[in-house]
Amino acid sequence: MLVSLKWLSEYVKVPEDLQAFCDRLDLTGTGVEGVEQVGDAFANIVTAKVVGKEAHPGSDHLWVCQVDVGACNLDETGQPQPLQIVCGAQNFNTGDHIVTALIGAELPGGVKIKKGKLRGVASCGMNCSERELGLGSGHDGIMILPEDAPVGMPLAEYLGKSDTVLDLEITPNRPDCLSVTGMAREVGAMYQEDWADPLLDAAARLGLAGEAPADRVSVTIEDATRCPRYTARVIRGVKIGPSPDWLVERLAALGQRSINNIVDVTNYILFLYGQPLHAFDMEKLADAAGNVDVVVRAAHAGEKLQTLDGQERVLNEDMTVIATPSAGAVALAGVMGGLESEVTEETTDIFLEAATFQPGRTSRTSRNLGLISESSMRYERGVDDHGMLERSAAAAALMVEVAGGQVVPLAGEGFIDEWPQPSEAPHLTFRIKRFQEFVGADIPSSFTMDTLRRLGCSAEDTGEGTLEVIAPTFRPDLEREIDLYEEVLRLWGMDRVSSTLPASPHRVGARTPRQLINMKVNEVLRAAGLNETMTYSFAEPADVQRLRLEEGALGLAVEVLNPLNAEQSIMRQTLLPGLLRSLSYNQNRGVPNVQLYEIGTVFTATEGRKNPKERTKVASVLAGHMLARTWNSDPAAFDFFDGKGVLESLARELALPKVRFKALDADEAPYLQPGRAAQMLAGGIVIGWVGEVHPLVSAAFDVDGTVVAFELDMDALQKASQPARPFNDVPAFPPIEVDQNLVVAEEVTHEKLVQVMSSAGGKLLESIRLFDVYRDDARVGAGKKSMAYTLTYRAPDRTLTADEVERAHERVVKKTASATGAEVRG
Amino acid sequence: MALTDELEGLRSDTLERVARAEDLASLDEVRVAVIGKSGTLTSYLRNMGNVAKEERAEVGKAVNAARQAVEDALETRRTELAAAELDARIQAGAVDITLPGRAQQMGSRHLINRMIDELNDIFLGLGYTVESGFEVETDYYNFTALNAPADHPSRSMQDTFYVKDLSGDAASVRGESDVLLRTQTSGAQVHAMEDWELPIYMVSPGKVYRRDVADPSHLPQFHQIEGLVVDKGITFGDLKGTLEYVCRAIFGPDRRTRFRAHYFPFTEPSAEVDVSCAVCGGEGCRMCKHTGWLEILGCGMVDPNVLRMSGIDPEVYSGFAFGFGIERVAALKYNVPDLRMLLEGDMRFLRQF
Repeated sequence: MLVSLKWLSEYVKVPEDLQAFCDRLDLTGTGVEGVEQVGDAFANIVTAKVVGKEAHPGSDHLWVCQVDVGACNLDETGQPQPLQIVCGAQNFNTGDHIVTALIGAELPGGVKIKKGKLRGVASCGMNCSERELGLGSGHDGIMILPEDAPVGMPLAEYLGKSDTVLDLEITPNRPDCLSVTGMAREVGAMYQEDWADPLLDAAARLGLAGEAPADRVSVTIEDATRCPRYTARVIRGVKIGPSPDWLVERLAALGQRSINNIVDVTNYILFLYGQPLHAFDMEKLADAAGNVDVVVRAAHAGEKLQTLDGQERVLNEDMTVIATPSAGAVALAGVMGGLESEVTEETTDIFLEAATFQPGRTSRTSRNLGLISESSMRYERGVDDHGMLERSAAAAALMVEVAGGQVVPLAGEGFIDEWPQPSEAPHLTFRIKRFQEFVGADIPSSFTMDTLRRLGCSAEDTGEGTLEVIAPTFRPDLEREIDLYEEVLRLWGMDRVSSTLPASPHRVGARTPRQLINMKVNEVLRAAGLNETMTYSFAEPADVQRLRLEEGALGLAVEVLNPLNAEQSIMRQTLLPGLLRSLSYNQNRGVPNVQLYEIGTVFTATEGRKNPKERTKVASVLAGHMLARTWNSDPAAFDFFDGKGVLESLARELALPKVRFKALDADEAPYLQPGRAAQMLAGGIVIGWVGEVHPLVSAAFDVDGTVVAFELDMDALQKASQPARPFNDVPAFPPIEVDQNLVVAEEVTHEKLVQVMSSAGGKLLESIRLFDVYRDDARVGAGKKSMAYTLTYRAPDRTLTADEVERAHERVVKKTASATGAEVRG
Repeated sequence: MALTDELEGLRSDTLERVARAEDLASLDEVRVAVIGKSGTLTSYLRNMGNVAKEERAEVGKAVNAARQAVEDALETRRTELAAAELDARIQAGAVDITLPGRAQQMGSRHLINRMIDELNDIFLGLGYTVESGFEVETDYYNFTALNAPADHPSRSMQDTFYVKDLSGDAASVRGESDVLLRTQTSGAQVHAMEDWELPIYMVSPGKVYRRDVADPSHLPQFHQIEGLVVDKGITFGDLKGTLEYVCRAIFGPDRRTRFRAHYFPFTEPSAEVDVSCAVCGGEGCRMCKHTGWLEILGCGMVDPNVLRMSGIDPEVYSGFAFGFGIERVAALKYNVPDLRMLLEGDMRFLRQF
């Protein structure tokens, strides 16, 4: 909201230090979003006096003038020095007071004043006409000021146009601050200064005259919840015309264009008191018999109204209209008047509405129609139903002043007043000590009482440690004791409260098991060289097809009712698509080596349930190499085993029991390349999958080359992980290692060989390490592979003898051969 | 005394050969030739039996002296040669130590989670627990229980993402659904107030959603961390002290904070907190829009209505709450020019953190 400090200072003392004032506003809850100096348009334009005038030697119409600009131009000794200005005007003489633009000035039309020469004579400024200054249309010559005009005064100051306009952020709980008088009260409370309320004086000027229109005018409120109060006055015989300058300027300072004298008064009262008003052309409300029967009612569904902005609005029953039986809806209550009944140049009789409408409905109406007005903005925050007659009286009196006419008696008085639902001022108890304890500062009760009173409350000390407070009806936010605490604290100053830390001994900070698992997973993945990223939680329904999955294979998706775009219309069910998109993003920008992971939520809806199931997943995509080749290392391109290796590290770090990898076939994981896809299990719990992404899926996501990926379920990881590991003694006796080559058919898996060897080796076989896999049709045989293992034998309690190991190893080889068909070759 | 002369000759000859030995191998040759099993000096010892009895003592002494001298010389020379050889080996082993080390990649933490880690640690240190809550919430936990008015614009379809409600319930507030993507993590705090034992000292960091089209300064999904304390005797001063500490912990010990009174439905009294601008030190610059301050977070004392709705007696307990956007803090700390970078997964961006 814009506030003119010039206007504001008529009612309260405004501090001279603008910066300090803005800071204090900021700190007490009224944010200052902008500061505009209105006089800026007249920078470097000053009042002046012609002290010399000679004909220009090279022209028959130009004059060479000496212009006194006072202290605006000084010589070396610091004495005022007249400026030489070449001027073409013919309407002035030596001794005239004029307006001069100095060098550096920019006229409202955009002309910049520079030092120059006119036909060979130097000119150091410009004498201005009214039109050049944007002050009127006079261009017969330069502007001549009265003889008593000062010399060398900034024009803005001389004209009284110097003003500062603040753009204030009024929080939604403070409708009272949406007016000049409301801000005057607030500033008074901020500085403990008294303020002068102009309302009583204004209302007192209202006199009634003319003939009562008997029963010609009536107001009916159909639904009091929609309209708690409606008042009307009638002003007859007005002459619509331009507003006086002072009124135009007041409104202009707040960015409000002047329309005509009547409408300008309604806007002026709106800005001054925060009371929205509407002036109807009364003739347009009257029926054939001349009766004006105004009804405040719900709009009919589909009812139409052309609003003042010329647009036809289709209404619904949630909206409230002002209507008459003959004309139908004539205004959208609280939001905007109707075009049909607007005040025009022909208008002579005014029906002046001052009312209050329900905030919620006004807000919805305004939003649903995309129509925000100065009125709706105030009504949706709450307009005080008390004091309304005084504000409307001030408006009526001002209308008579600027547009003539008479305020005529109505209903035996000067107004109609329907007030079915008066609001009540809340009576509150303020506990002084509790307040001090709550804030943690000894704010004296004298300050509290003074502050509450300045804010418009009545406050009486009961003498028993409490204040009895009645909050004003213009402060709908003051309903409870706590609301008063806020007022006193903010005006006392939050900066004056000493900083402490809570003293409670009853607390410990600790991470939950889930957070600890999450941390560990993050650590392992980073240690494995993976980089954490984040992708959108939204997904595209077509992602399921891109993953070569059947519709619904990932469960029921959570649908967003109001997505930003079709690509983000459901919530993701897997992290893979987002990561593949990021991979593509990198590849398209020439980054071939990509190692990304994300820990994030996936969502599954359930028929009949309100909230979807949320699960946390950890997923990764690897493409290219871990590192570019360097002078001393040459990393291999990522394949299945890089992904699996990461999972094995995770299994180790989380102490997952009995980890197994089970091959996934094309039906189980169609998004993975068959033969390079596995499910990870731990202790029988499915943890997730790892594999190389199916080339068709890569293509669907615009990704090149081999992509290794995995996705694990964090809850499953947490469930399977074992926080405490058993301790095993560090071996005290030496091992004996035996290398063993086994040639087996391709179908025999490493897992199978290890199983057989382990069970055959018994307790003495400590570990089995695969160190080579070799295939050669000639030397090993087609369809076969040679697997080379190092078997480590050790006893915990003695040094094994060669004989013991030989016997054990022979048993291992024999059993392995018979169970798997393995052949031993040199 | 031909024998002793001989010995003297052998001794001096041997010492000369020792001195001439150029490496350990040739030195060892000398050792073997002189005092080895069949070395020249050894043979004198072996043949002592042939020496005349009266000369034996003298010859024996001379042999032993010669042997001692040779052994000493060998040892001295061996040490010299070993040192020289080690030296040579070391010299030959010198590398250009400016060559890069064996490459290994440490992964990187996403900037936002790095910030959350930092914040969690600060609050764990203050004795808070961390609870993130769910990303899909009902209207009640996201708005109603936090005192948000039924008509509040933030509840509109324009500002909040709603998801399809499959429960068959009729929506009580909005047209189609009471189920939404949370716009704040406060829901986790309401659950805590309903379910946990008092006192509560908690922070809830997490992802939240607002219906903003992604642009350099907006994302439809971003992160917040909100805090809640409910205990007996909690004061506004406690709120102030806590947040001043937190701001200094995040932004550095030299930064000042200020509390500006503000309005939020969830808290009363409410404030916004600014931190002095790091770029200009509070003098005013473009970064802080010439105010010298950067707005960081919103906070306040928990509104009694909110406590009451969760079954907590506001006459006995009081508390404070606060919340701030992680992306904003991260952007301020690292000057991230475009928030969309946080969701692109560009390796060249990610690996900077």
